[in-house]
Order: sequence, then C-alpha cells, then structure tokens
Amino acid sequence: MSTLHDQIKQVIDTEPVAVFIKGTPEAPACGNSMRALQALWQAGAPIVAVDVLPDPRIRQELTALSEWPTIPQVFVKGELIGGADITEELHASGELKAKIDEALGAEHTQTVRTVELALD
Amino acid sequence: MTANVIRDLLDQAFPGGEIDVEDRTGGGDHFQVTITSNAFNGLPLIQQHKLVNAALAAPLADGTIHELRIRTKGTA
Repeated sequence: MSTLHDQIKQVIDTEPVAVFIKGTPEAPACGNSMRALQALWQAGAPIVAVDVLPDPRIRQELTALSEWPTIPQVFVKGELIGGADITEELHASGELKAKIDEALGAEHTQTVRTVELALD
Repeated sequence: MTANVIRDLLDQAFPGGEIDVEDRTGGGDHFQVTITSNAFNGLPLIQQHKLVNAALAAPLADGTIHELRIRTKGTA
C-alpha cells in the first residue's frame, strides 16, 4: 500500500480540483470547509474531496506537502490556490471560475466525489 | 489576550501596516485578521496569505488559534 504522503500527492496531482476538508461534502464538519465547497460549487468546479478528520496524520502530511497550516486547502491542477478566504475572494472576483474553466475547458461536467485514503 | 499576542506578531511582521484583529466568537481562538501593508504589493493572494501564516506560525502550530480568517491588501 502506498504511503499517506504518496496518496495525498496523487490526489493533488491527478484531480483537476481537489479540496481537503473537515467532514464530507454532504456533511461538512466545519464552517470554513463549507465556505470553500460552496465557492467551488458555485464556480462550477468538479469537486474531489478528502476528509482530513479520520486520522491526524492526513493533515500532518498534507501540511508538510503544501506548507499551508490550516484546513480547508483547495488545489486546482496540482497548485494550492488557498484556503476558504482566498477561494471565496477568487470566486467573488470571477477568477475562480476563470481558473477552473482554463484548467478543464468551459464545457466540463460538475460532479462531487469523495476520496477515502487508505490508512494502515 | 491572545488577540494582543497576534497583533504583536503581525506588527513585527508588517511594520507600519494597518492591522486589525477581531476575536470572532469571543472565545479567544477564532480570529479574523485584516492587514493592509506594502509587503503585499504585487504578490498573488496565496503568497500574501503565506506571509500572514508564517507570522502566526507559532500560535497556529500550538493550537492557540483554532480558526483564522485572513484578509490582506497591498498599499499600491
């Protein structure tokens, strides 16, 4: 089984829009995770979500990779765009949608998926 | 109390900046910080927020800050 580090990196590198949150898109466990999800959804993003709560090591490995201390963390095309505040600001200015359309083409479908990491 | 610690850290990191620290819940661990500083001029938002996170690395790491909302603005 690949390490947590490798699994997290793979989600970030392969998913066009990846968001690490507390809870799930159906039941966010934190207001900021919800804010990030809402901004992404309104911007038309296909969302792949990873819950950091099942194991504290997920957050540790993620923060070591991203050098970003807080949750949520939003990645577009492998690049950290920020947490809830930046995601909302970029959505309000229209930049988020532009970034997503640029990454996926304007004619993409909008889906929400949750990825569960394998914990040893 | 914690708000003052945060303000001091931000004052050191962004000398001459306009800094506002709000305890959002009154519980001393959910904060909104608003900073206007020339240190942000020309930087993308992500880099601006990274500077703030770096300035507050200690209270973020030890859990003093449970939740942090950041708003930054350059002066240019």
